[in-house]
This record gives sequence, structure tokens and C-alpha cells, in this order.
Amino acid sequence: MSIFTPTNQIRLTNVAVVRMKKGGKRFEIACYKNKVMSWRSGAEKDLDEVLQTHSVFTNVSKGQVAKKDDLSKSFGTDDLTEICKQILAKGELQVSDKERQSQLEQMFRDIATIVAEKCVNPETKRPYTVSLIERAMKDIHYSVKASKSTKQQALEVIRQLKESMQIQRAHMRLRFVLPAREGKRLKEKLKPLVKVVESEDFDDQLEMVCLIDPGCFREIDELIRCETKGKGSLEVLSLKDVEEGDEKLE
Amino acid sequence: MGHTSLEKLIRLQRKTSSIRNICILAHVDHGKTTLADCLVASNGIISTRLAGKLRYLDSREDEQIRGITMKSSAISLHYAAGESEYLINLIDSPGHVDFSSEVSTAVRLCDGAIVVVDAVEGVCPQTQAVLRQAWLENIRPVLVINKIDRLIIELKLSPQEAYTHLQKILEQVNAVTGTLFTSKVLEERAVKEVEVQEALSEPSSGELVYDWSAGLEETDDSHLYFSPDQGNVVFASAIDSWGFSIHQFAQIYCQKMGVRSEVLQKTLWGDFYLNAKAKKIMKGAQSKGKKPLFVQLVLDNIWSLYDAVVTRRDKEKVEKIVASLGLTVMARDLRHSDPKVLLSAICSQWLPVSQAVLSMVCEKLPSPSEIGAERVERLMSVGTRRFDSLPEKTQELKQVFLDCTSEETAPVIVFVSKMFAVDSKALPQNRQRPLTQEEITQRRDLARQRHAEKQAASQSAENPESANAGGTPAVTSANTLTVKPTAEEEEKEHFIAFARVYSGVVRRGQRVFVLGPKYDPALSLRTLPDGCSAADPLPSVPHLACCTLEHLYMLMGRELEELEEVPAGNVLGIGGMEEFILKSATISTSPACPPFTPLNFEATPIVRVAIEPKHPSEMPKLVRGMRLLNQADPCAEVLIQETGEHVLVTAGEVHLQRCLDDLRERFAKIGISASKPIIPFRETVIRPPKVDMVNEEMGRQQKVAVIHQAKDEQSKYPEGVHVDSTGLVTLTTPNKMATVGIRAVPLPEEVTRLLEGNSELIRTMEQFSLFAREGKTLEISQKTLEEIQGFKSKLEGLLQGHKWRNAVERIWAFGPRRCGPNILLNSVEGYRRPSVWQCVEREKEKSEAVMLRDFDNSIVSGFQLATLSGPMCEEPLMGVCFSVESWEIKFSSQLTQQDSVEEDSVSQQALEADNNASGRTAQSIILDENLKKSKRKGDTTDCYGPFSGQLIAAMKEACRYAFQAKPQRLMAAMYTCEIMATADVLGRVYGVLSKREGRVLNEEMKEGTDMFIIRAVLPVAESFGFADEMRKRTSGLASPQLVFSHWEVISSDPFWVPTTEEEYLHFGEKADSANQALKYMNAVRKRKGLYVEEKIVEHAEKQRTLSKNK
Repeated sequence: MSIFTPTNQIRLTNVAVVRMKKGGKRFEIACYKNKVMSWRSGAEKDLDEVLQTHSVFTNVSKGQVAKKDDLSKSFGTDDLTEICKQILAKGELQVSDKERQSQLEQMFRDIATIVAEKCVNPETKRPYTVSLIERAMKDIHYSVKASKSTKQQALEVIRQLKESMQIQRAHMRLRFVLPAREGKRLKEKLKPLVKVVESEDFDDQLEMVCLIDPGCFREIDELIRCETKGKGSLEVLSLKDVEEGDEKLE
Repeated sequence: MGHTSLEKLIRLQRKTSSIRNICILAHVDHGKTTLADCLVASNGIISTRLAGKLRYLDSREDEQIRGITMKSSAISLHYAAGESEYLINLIDSPGHVDFSSEVSTAVRLCDGAIVVVDAVEGVCPQTQAVLRQAWLENIRPVLVINKIDRLIIELKLSPQEAYTHLQKILEQVNAVTGTLFTSKVLEERAVKEVEVQEALSEPSSGELVYDWSAGLEETDDSHLYFSPDQGNVVFASAIDSWGFSIHQFAQIYCQKMGVRSEVLQKTLWGDFYLNAKAKKIMKGAQSKGKKPLFVQLVLDNIWSLYDAVVTRRDKEKVEKIVASLGLTVMARDLRHSDPKVLLSAICSQWLPVSQAVLSMVCEKLPSPSEIGAERVERLMSVGTRRFDSLPEKTQELKQVFLDCTSEETAPVIVFVSKMFAVDSKALPQNRQRPLTQEEITQRRDLARQRHAEKQAASQSAENPESANAGGTPAVTSANTLTVKPTAEEEEKEHFIAFARVYSGVVRRGQRVFVLGPKYDPALSLRTLPDGCSAADPLPSVPHLACCTLEHLYMLMGRELEELEEVPAGNVLGIGGMEEFILKSATISTSPACPPFTPLNFEATPIVRVAIEPKHPSEMPKLVRGMRLLNQADPCAEVLIQETGEHVLVTAGEVHLQRCLDDLRERFAKIGISASKPIIPFRETVIRPPKVDMVNEEMGRQQKVAVIHQAKDEQSKYPEGVHVDSTGLVTLTTPNKMATVGIRAVPLPEEVTRLLEGNSELIRTMEQFSLFAREGKTLEISQKTLEEIQGFKSKLEGLLQGHKWRNAVERIWAFGPRRCGPNILLNSVEGYRRPSVWQCVEREKEKSEAVMLRDFDNSIVSGFQLATLSGPMCEEPLMGVCFSVESWEIKFSSQLTQQDSVEEDSVSQQALEADNNASGRTAQSIILDENLKKSKRKGDTTDCYGPFSGQLIAAMKEACRYAFQAKPQRLMAAMYTCEIMATADVLGRVYGVLSKREGRVLNEEMKEGTDMFIIRAVLPVAESFGFADEMRKRTSGLASPQLVFSHWEVISSDPFWVPTTEEEYLHFGEKADSANQALKYMNAVRKRKGLYVEEKIVEHAEKQRTLSKNK
């Protein structure tokens, strides 16, 4: 629109409204945009930077101030600042795009960090860097869900990344000691769960060192405990089988 | 000047005395490649018209675009002076600092060097560097003062002024040489003095006379300096293709003036003038205000030529000059609109630069057979080993070096200074050559046949009965088969070794030894049978390999010519060595040959970047490409770090750019991105500081009520955690069964360092106690035991005082990863557990009743997790001691039984939940029989999960709170930085250092030079771009080197807010002035996606809230 046409709708600028229902009544306060989340997380400490005014409204856009009686009835106090703080802490608000964006970005990073920590390149047994994982996540168009926990999403991401690149969860190194009697039978059962058998020693009892996928640990543990009735033992040698130290390429 | 045939060059290769191996060295943009062009043009390889514009030896695309040389490349030239013919192996080298490694590789193969200096700019930083390099390699330099035309056209100097200017430049160059000489003499004297002092170690010599003379006077240095009358200086303008030495003009004028040419040569440069009346050459031109001879006879002529041709464009005068010089200039050139064309047409006939330079090279620079004994010894004695200490057989080889014969009996000695990659297309065996007549007919026949077949096939398609399709498909399939391998071949990069034969004759197909840089002849002489050769089957010797020389090439700039054999003294390329040689090596037929001393690199690689492929699936290609790059570049380093980063270390930004281009286009052929490498930090606690941020004493001041701490102290801690004022944290597990009390104490710095240095020993101890718990024993060698004992006593020595009483004995564990620089201390009353020092004291303590409490392992696991990632930014802890002061468990016996069995699985889950799982070595507790029996009974767990898991989590949390209760600090990795700089840029060096939080440790002057050596420490976090900034700010006069040295506590508190009155006054309420530690901490937290206490907008009122069209 090139010509400025007056609208008869009043727009509130730079205002974020925080609402709360208490005692059957609706209360609103007028805050600055992008500030309420900072206040809740504790980054913003100055209340005046958050509140436009210390008064409490029933409707901010119409400018209707809440009645004193209602306030003291619902909140048990008539200290406006105290009431504002309560509403700020517990009220509902529309999260602004900036706030949402920064939150999602943070979660995205967090997921990438978790993936990078848990996984290795199966060829070199070395971890991938976080930035590489981030790029890979963007390549597969992974979208972060704000409602699910980052760890849950990280496991999901690992599954999806396996299709496009060389990645796997870092193996766990285990050692079982099984009584000879049950050793043979159990070995057959364990076989599908074990990735690599590093050493096997069968004299009076079966001793095995092997690498497994961390996802199977609980299953293996359960199996050994139930089948051997507590006679076999299981020992975690390392949680993450990765190469350590720097390597010079030559 | 016709094209020199290859046969002629090959014939010349045999005459060692007529070979000159030279390289061209100079500062960047002083005209090395232009000069090389002129020399190449003299052999008819390129047109003289194009000389100076083509830059023939810059064969890479980016070299042409940027206009700087990046790789040294060699070419063999022919030069005839009178009857004698010479073969000149010319190596052009880059001048940019970043590529000084290429200079080193070039200098090593040469016997002489042409140092080019810009007549306007004079001596520049790289000029000094190359002179130093030539000096260190003991090769003889000659000087070319280039771009004299700029003095005439740009600066518009008069001949007289130009003369003084040239004199000054010559003085500068000689001054550099002089410093090199004096520093060497002083060094030798210092060595001698040390020897003398060792000899006179007894202070009996009371009347020791100190020798003040410093030995400078005794050593003759006149032969080192450049002087036109010595004939080792050429004045030139390579772009206009002229150049001359005094010698040439002396020849011209001796007849005209009737003066003997020797006299003229002596007097043409210097303070001499011509007395016209007396027809005599007199001294003292300057004092008498006369024109020096050089101005009168040489410069004036050149000036008048330029004046006529370029400035005034006086046709008649030009013709007169041309006629008087006896030259013939083509009419085409005379008419040309650009005067430069005419100028170079005249000059290249009158004073051809190639003539002047090459004759100087042939006369003044040594041939390979004149190699000095000193240089040989230096080449042969690796590192600090003296030549005398080499085995006798090796010493005998010195004579071989000196002889430099190409006889059959002489052992072959070749040095490979670098490997360079070429496309397989460029190799002679793959190159397209003109077809011979026979081949053409053959092809014609083939084409005809195919045509006929096609016709037959089409006919047969019409009448399918007569189809005899047997022949055609077979032919086509054969064709496709031959096409495929060539396509693959083109993909592959071929490496060619850039080498020189020092002795013997190298032949194609010869079996030779390849000696790595660390090869020791003394060792192999013992193991190898006498008189063995590379063809025999041999026992394996470290750093020794056998191989066959597959291809030998003569290097002709961008082309290669295949050779059958190469005699001694020549520069050559060897193909097919990429399997055996990484970067440089020595090749010999005699196992007694020592490896040559490693190249002295002026610049060490310091610019670090992390490299990633654009598409994560292309990782293997990147790794392969980086390997190739490492081989192809003498100075680049590549490594994979523990974090999984692929790091490329280069000498400078330009070098980095080239390496990245190489990776993208040649070696990896994928899209890559380079970024700042990840910087590690450590977290630690310190003793409470006594003074505040404004250096006022704390305690006496009244704390101001702080709005920042509106949320009250205790509310930070969740339920079940209690922190008292001394930093003791007591924490109860959620099921209220166990309580631990923990205190964090900073470890003394020396202890941290000791722990860090002995992580291997700690690992061994840990393994031992692990085995001991299972009832097995691990055999440890006596030496290791002694080392452990020593480590323990050292630790005891460092942990002195009231606080640490008996601390060493009470150590419970080390962490993280069970061997790190943090300690868990057992201060629980009445709990005696097996000591970590079991392995050293197993004899005496066996009998005593020491028992592990249940869940001992959970405590250790919790500690390991806590030390692996600290509360500040999830980086490992360092130098923290957690002392467990109390540990109470109140629970029914039934619960113990159930839980301790489950401990393993549970601890595992707890670790997973903390997602910090790495490198922990958990192990099961060996259970008592009765526990096992009763375990099935109580399989119900309470709502908080298994107990041992709770204990791990509780322990970890307690450690974190204990850590937070103390003043926390971040530790930064530090580089030690050594900077060589001249006195005039010292201030700038300090400026750059202080801008990047560097701290100067000391500075000292290098004896005999005007160079300062500054040692400083610099945080790794600030080092990105440091080298580049340093070079830019000091115009390349300071060159830094960075080496990782240690971890250092950053003194500022990342959580600091002003609390005292003084601090309020000084910093204000918000204190938003830069806090280094906070900056680092937030950067790491942001990278990891942790919560950062940062506002989305700083000022609520100042945000723009309306979109444009509202």
C-alpha cells in the first residue's frame, strides 16, 4: 500500500499479553515482547524491563484495569507488583517467533551434541563432530519437536542418519563369565545380540569379551541373569569403544 | 636461438663439470618468474615476445590468476658460451612467506642461487629469509638487481641518483650477508668457548685472558659479499628483457677507450671517474663532483635509450641509436604502437638478460663436482649427531659425494626433497604424440573395416537370415574394455619425486634402498650382510625399504621428458615412488648411506583449521584426499583429533587457501568447508580470592544488597541438598536411604601437573586393583613398580601440610576415565578400603582386614561422571579433589541384597540417563553366595528406581554442588609462542599479543643480529587468525611459532557480578564490561546447545516490533 490509509483498529505495539485465570476471573498484564521467557529463565532480572506497567488489567487491548476487590479476592493481596510477578510466573502467553526460534535452535544443537557423543564413524571408530551432525540433520530435513525430549529425538535422528551416512552408535565392550554348563546354550542365544566377539576362553567356565550395541544391553543383562540364575556375571569394560588420542594422517 | 633438442641435454647431463643446479630466490613480486621466463625463452621453448608475460613455470591455474608462484618447478636449459656448453637445471621458487617450505626443498637440491632484488623496494623480509636459507644450506648466491626500468620510468631518477640508489641496495644486501656471517662466527665461538670451558673445568687458570676479538677479524669474509667488480652482480630489467654485468661493458669499452678491460672492470663500479683531458681513470668522483664511471658509461646510455624510445618516442633518434649499436630491428617492431615492444626488441639484442645471467651463473656458481666438504658433512650428519660419530663405512661415502662421478662402480645416492602431484595426462607415457604414418594407415584401415561392418550389419538387419553377428559385438566389447581403465587412470593422481643425484648413475628399473628420515645406517650395517644390494632378499630394517625405480623424468617446467638413465649431479623426477616415500627421503644402493639432514623450514605450520565435507557421506573421500595432500605438500600437516575433527595445519592463509583448493579440485574432488577448530577447556576450583575485582581487600567492605541475587541462595539447591558455609555438601538419595557429604578442594598446581604426566602409571595401578578385586593378579614389571613408587613419593612430597595429612594413602580414585588429574579422597571415618597403591605394597598389607563396603563402586562411578563434565560448560574437570567426609547408609538388609546384584545394570542405566557415558570402566562386585540366593526374593524396587543408580546420581550431583560451592574457574589451553622480529616492529608485535590476551614471558636479542626473540603465552582460543594478523601488522617482519604448552586458570570469575561498594563504583550495576571467562563459557555452552543465560533482546523499549506494511 503506497498511500497510508488510517485503520480503525488500534494495534498494540511492542506488547506481549500474559493472561491468567484465577478465582473465576481473567487477569492480564502488559509486558514487552521477547522478555517474558527471559524473565522465567532468570536471565532478565529487572522487572521494569519486562513489565510495561505495574497495573493489572482484565483486558489489555481495551485498557480495562482490573478492580481492586477482584484482585484482593483472587490473589489475597493488593500489592500490584507482587500480583504481576505471580501472573508472570504462572500465566499463559503466546511465545513470540524470536523466542521460539531461539528455543528450537538450542534444542537442535542439543540433539546434535547428543548424537555426536553417542555415535562413531564405523570405519575409523572416531566420533563425528557436532557441526557435521548438524549439517547432516539439515540435509535430511529433520525438524525439531519442542514437545519431545532432546534425548528421544536424538535416538530418532540416529536412526534416520543411518540411511544417508556411515554412522552407528558407539559399541559397548562387555565381558561375561558364564558357568560351563550353561555356556553353550547361552552362547547361541547371545549370538544375535552381539556385534563382535573379541576373545573367547572356554575352560572351566566360558569367558567372553565382545562388543554390543548399547540398545541391546538391557536384553543381554536380563538374559544372563535369568538363564544362569545369578551364577554368570556381566561386566562392562567400556561404555564407548572409540579411538583415543590424536592420529597423524600419513 | 633454436629449440634445444632433448638429445643434446641428455648428452650434457654426463659432463658433471658443465652442469649448474641453480634456483631463483627472492621476495614475493621481485620478478623471479619473469626472469625465469627470459631464461627459458633463450632456449626457444617460449617466444621471446611472450617472455615475462607468460610466466611459463607457473603451471597451476591459481598461480596464473593470483600472479604469484606457489610451487617450485624445475626446467633444464642449455647454454653455450664460446666452445663450452652448459646444462643449467633451473628451479624457480615461490617468494611468498607461506611457501617458504617450497624454497627449502628447492635450495637443498641446488649448488647455487640467483637472488633477485627489486631495484625500487630493495631488501625485503623474504629477501633476508632466502639469503639465510641459502646460507644455512651452504650454497653460493649471485645477485640480480631487477626492475631497473622502474627507476627510470616510475621514479624518474637521474642516472646519478639511480647509481646512489643501487649502491644503497647493494649495501643492504651485503649487510644481511654480513649479519649471517657474524652470527655464525659468534655461534662457533660460543661452541668453542663451551668446549674450552669444559676443558678447563678446574679453576686453576687464574690468569685466564679473555679473548675480546670474537674471532671476527681472523675469519675472512670478503668472498661472501656481492660486488659488481667481482662479477657476481647483474643489473637487469627482466620485463624489458635486458640485463648486464660490469664485465660486458668492460668488454665493450676497452676497445673504444683503449683501456685494459681488467682495469675497466675494477673501476667501472665505484668511486672512479674519467679524466677526459688526461685520459685517465681517477679515484674520488664523489668528492670532486664528477660523474662516476658507471654513470657515465653505463647508466647514461640506458637512460638515453629509454628517453628516446619510451618517453619521447623520437623515431629518428631511435634509428640512430639502433644503427650505432649495430642492431637490426624489424620494421614491424619499429611501427608498433606500444613503445615497450620496440624497447624490448632493441634491448634483447643489445643486452640480452639471459646472456648476462647465464654467463654469470656458469662462471661464478659451482658445478656439482665442486661440492664443499663442509656441506657434505652437514648433509650427512643428522640432527645433533656429529659427522665423526657416523659409522666408518658411512664416512667413506663422503669421498663419493666429493667425487660426484657417474661411474658404474660409484654407489647411487639420490635425495628426494619433495613429492609433487601431476595429472596422469601430463605423464609422457600417456601423452598424445603425433601419429606416425603407419599408425595413420592402420587407423584408416580400421575405420574402413568398421564402416564395412556397419553396412553389413544394416544389411543383415534387412535380411536377418544372413546375419552373422559374431564379429561385431566382440569388437565393440573390446573397445569398451579398453576405454574403461583409461578413464580410471585419469582419476588418479601421480606423484613424482623431485630429486637430485649426488653420486652414481640412476637407471630405469634399478633396485634401490629408500631410506626414511629416521633411518640409522649404523643399525642396518650390523643386521645386513656385507656387500648386499637392494635386489637381494633382506631382513627388514626400520625405515628402510627396497623399490624399483620405474620412471625417470627430466623436468621441463610443466612437461616431463622420459629418460633411461640420469648421471650424477642432475636434478630429476622419479615416478612411481608414492608407496615408499612420504615427503622426502634418501635413495641409495648402499645401505651405509645416511639419510640426509631434514630440510630447514623457515616457517612451521601454525594455521589450524578443521575441515569437513559438505556432504557427511563423503568422509572417506576427504580422508583419502587429505592423505594425498599431506604427501604432496612439504609443509602441510593433517591429523584427526580425538574429537573426530580433521585438522589441517598450514603455514599461512595463502598456503591454506591453496591446500583447500587442491583438496577440492585434485585430491578429494568434493565440496569441503573449513572452520575454526573446537577449542577445549577445563574446569577447576580455586581458593577463595582475598581481593575483589578492583583490588580492594574483601571482607572489610560491606556487601551491598544486590538485586541480582534476589532469588535467595538456598533456593538454588533442590530438596535433599544441604550446603554449609564451608562448602560441605550433604545430599540424600531420593529414597532417603543414603547420605553423602562431600567437599571440593583445589589441588596444588604441581600435583595436577604430576597427575597429568603419569596417567599411564595410574592406568596400570587401576588395572591391578581391578584384577585384585577379582582375586587374580596382574604381573607388573619391576621397572613400572619402581616408577609407581617414585610417583607416590613425589605425590607425598607435594601434598604437604595440615590439610593433606595422610592424603596420599587415602586416595580413593582418580578421574575422569580413572586416570585423570582429579582425586577422590576417602575421609569417611572408620572406612578402610583397599588402597589404590595395592600393587606396590601387596606384601605387607595382605593380612590386614580391608574390605570394600557395598556400593563402593557407585561412589567411584558418580565421581567419574562428575569429573568428566563439569557444571560450567560440561568440560572435564582438572585439579579438583573431592573429599568424601561422610557416607551413611540406613536400610534393611533385604534391600541391599536385592540391589547390589542389580548394581551393574542399574549403574549402566544411570549413566545412560546422564548421557555422559564415556570411557568408564565399571565392573561388577563379586557377590557372596548367600546374596545370590536371596536375590530373587526382593525383586520389587521402590518408586525411585534401583538404589545403586540413585547413589551414582546422588554422588554425581553432590560433586557438582560441592564444585559450585567453591569459586569456580575456567582453564584455557595455552600455546607458547616464539616470535622472531626485528627491532622496528617490536611495538606492533606487542600490540597484537596484548590484543589477543597474550602475555610476554621474555624477550632477548639474538647475538650478532638485530633480531629479537620474544617468548609469550597465548590462549589457544585466541590463536585463530593470529599468525595472519601478526604478519600483516608487522609487514612480514615477525614470524610466530606456536606450540601447545599447558593449561592455565583464567583469573576472571565467569559468574562474577559486582557485590562490593568499590566494584559498584568501578563497574556499575550490570558490569557488562568484557568478562573473558564468561565469554568462553557461553561460547562453549552455545556450541553444545546448553542453556545460556542470555536475553533475547537487551533493551525492551528499543526493539522494532512493527512489520513493514503495518
